[in-house]
Amino acid sequence: MEKNIYAYKCKRCGHVQYPYRTICRNCHDNDHNEFDIVPLSKKGKIVTFTHLYNPPSDFETVCLTLGIVELDDGNRVTCQLNIPKPKMGMKVAGKVEVVRKDEYNKYYGFVFYEA
Amino acid sequence: MREVYVAGIGITSFTRLEYPLVEIAAYPGLMAMKESRIKSIDQLYVANMGASRANRQTGLASAVIDHMSLTPAGAETIENGPASGASAIKQGFLGVASGMYDTVMVIGAERMREVNNLEATDIVASLTHPLVEYIYGVTLPSLAGMFARLYMDKYGVTSRHLGMVAVKNHKHAMDNFYAHLHEEITLEGILDSKDALTNNPMVADPLRYYDCCPVSDGGACLILTTADIAKKTGKPMVRLAGVGQATDTHAVQDRKNPTDLLAVREAAKKSFAMAALKPKDVHVAELHDAFTILEIVESEEVGFFEKGQGHIALQEGYTKLGGKLPINPSGGLKAKGHPVGATGVGQAQEIVLQLRGEAGKRQVKNAKVGFTCNFGGFGNNVVCLTFVREN
Amino acid sequence: MAIDLEKILRPVDTPLPEFPAKYMILAGSEQLVIRQVSREEIPDILPYVEPLMHVERDYYDVVAARVYSELLAYYNYRVQDEYVLVAQIEGELVAVVNGRIVNKDVGMSLHTLGLRRGLRVGAHAFAAKMEYHIDILGQKEVLIVAESPIGFRRWMIEYKLEKRFEIPHELGGCPSWALTKNLFDKARNSLIVGTRPVPEALLAKAKAAILAPSDPPKQAVDLLAATRSLNDSTGTILLSQRTKLRGK
Repeated sequence: MEKNIYAYKCKRCGHVQYPYRTICRNCHDNDHNEFDIVPLSKKGKIVTFTHLYNPPSDFETVCLTLGIVELDDGNRVTCQLNIPKPKMGMKVAGKVEVVRKDEYNKYYGFVFYEA
Repeated sequence: MREVYVAGIGITSFTRLEYPLVEIAAYPGLMAMKESRIKSIDQLYVANMGASRANRQTGLASAVIDHMSLTPAGAETIENGPASGASAIKQGFLGVASGMYDTVMVIGAERMREVNNLEATDIVASLTHPLVEYIYGVTLPSLAGMFARLYMDKYGVTSRHLGMVAVKNHKHAMDNFYAHLHEEITLEGILDSKDALTNNPMVADPLRYYDCCPVSDGGACLILTTADIAKKTGKPMVRLAGVGQATDTHAVQDRKNPTDLLAVREAAKKSFAMAALKPKDVHVAELHDAFTILEIVESEEVGFFEKGQGHIALQEGYTKLGGKLPINPSGGLKAKGHPVGATGVGQAQEIVLQLRGEAGKRQVKNAKVGFTCNFGGFGNNVVCLTFVREN
Repeated sequence: MAIDLEKILRPVDTPLPEFPAKYMILAGSEQLVIRQVSREEIPDILPYVEPLMHVERDYYDVVAARVYSELLAYYNYRVQDEYVLVAQIEGELVAVVNGRIVNKDVGMSLHTLGLRRGLRVGAHAFAAKMEYHIDILGQKEVLIVAESPIGFRRWMIEYKLEKRFEIPHELGGCPSWALTKNLFDKARNSLIVGTRPVPEALLAKAKAAILAPSDPPKQAVDLLAATRSLNDSTGTILLSQRTKLRGK
């Protein structure tokens, strides 16, 4: 089953925020958990990126390509880029995959590929 | 609010220290008490970030106050990431200004090198947003790398400019006994020569080895008091005139404008407003150059230069010792070192030294107004301080 | 009689091509010369390695003690097919690297010892060693172990060395890792550094004399600081030792 990452839509004012915040950044007027979940778009373009040498010890690779992508719905996400030569502004399409593993858990997040 | 003065300062070498964290904290306190001849205090604030993980010590301030035999004075540990130091100074300032305390000691101390490098990087990486940044393997250098790439693209900053910051700060640190690195580097060695890639490998493209500060242990101390008590020390009167703090979104992706550091801008504004001064009044500054790109950007955001002009000013030599506005005369975080909790207090110690006229070879002539910027997280919590020499 | 005994005790060295000297520019624009030294120069190096045997951090003491013994054995003809390279800045010794040739296809990397505090010659020196084994001697692989975690990260992880755990390394029998010709070729850009030939004057200065390191790693100022928290949680033993040392 295809996984999604969700943003949070305030039930009072309709403002969509990602990541989760307890209080709506727009109206500051919501009650506890008064949000609807909205799946984030999986298409966007690269805002910036880096190649991180010496990534944290749980990663087996020597180099990790990370980026910030602006999605078509306006939200920005930090993500891993499975793209050998990324460029700023490049159009990308993403999937939700395992991005990090430690001894006990798998963590899911966005991995973007060239669109 | 009463006026707050700096009566005493102290610092350890910023390097790899083999002493327990509590001693690293106590030593500068001892130095400050000796130079100010103050024997008792009303309150202690200890700034630290990693003690609970790296050193297995929680309640650090409680340990330090007993270690220094200053009980029953009050003591609190302040944790604000890399901005812990200036945050603790802010608390000390409030204590004296409000009239609640007459003498407050602020100590910053850190001993990250008790654990290995990978563990230390992970402790610092815990500053990032757990759900949208940390899970991807984001560490602070990678955030700085992404930010640097944006800045280079928008304003034309190049690797050469970043190298210039490192060369400048390393040169300044050669005259600073307490600095971590006493290593003169050249642009030829780190960028131009064909061996540069081995000397200066990529860490987080486009940031390289010499664009990132070292991991240091160290401690620094400031004693803040009322005017009367400070006068008794016989030292030049240095007043903490302005304190400003501001925050921004936790995840770097959510910043309004990816090339802005709004928290720096806002905190500096508040600090100058309280001191009733302007950026152009500043004679010497210590900015938070954990990554060389940050010195350039902060120099613009606090108001010294127009946005996008910081690297031009650097190129023209404005910001080196002897220039129009020396930045990081101590060597900055890049060369003096970055013991996370102690950095903010270390920056203040350098500024006080400069304003007193005691900075020796690093002295900025006739420095009367000094400024520090302590950058927490990756720009999401910033504290700026303005110091003024009176008399 | 004495000559015959020596013939038995002394291993016969395989004739090997010399390491062609090269130089590189360091971060502060210093010129680093890496060259091979012969047995005659070993006595010049030994007094600079000896003080490091007492520096109890970063495994300097272990590495220096082992290097000292390897150099001494080389000088006294009691080890087979060892080579020693030195790195010098203005004639001053800043690093010693050594290794052995096990057979024509397999090399054994021994040590890399840095003699100037803070200077990052480890990377250059290690690369020179690997180049010697793979490129100049034409070997198929080099066996490597690391005493220090820093070495482990920089070599094993960064170059993705292959595990050869069934082969005990000469240094203490620890499981070995191997840099194969394949891996070397992949990392060629970062492993072949520096320039040849070395300008005559620079090489002459390096060959003229091996000068003392100007800023070697030193023992901690407080002799007992390094062990304080590890071995003595009460601090009382150390305090009494210290008063004895200082004669108070």
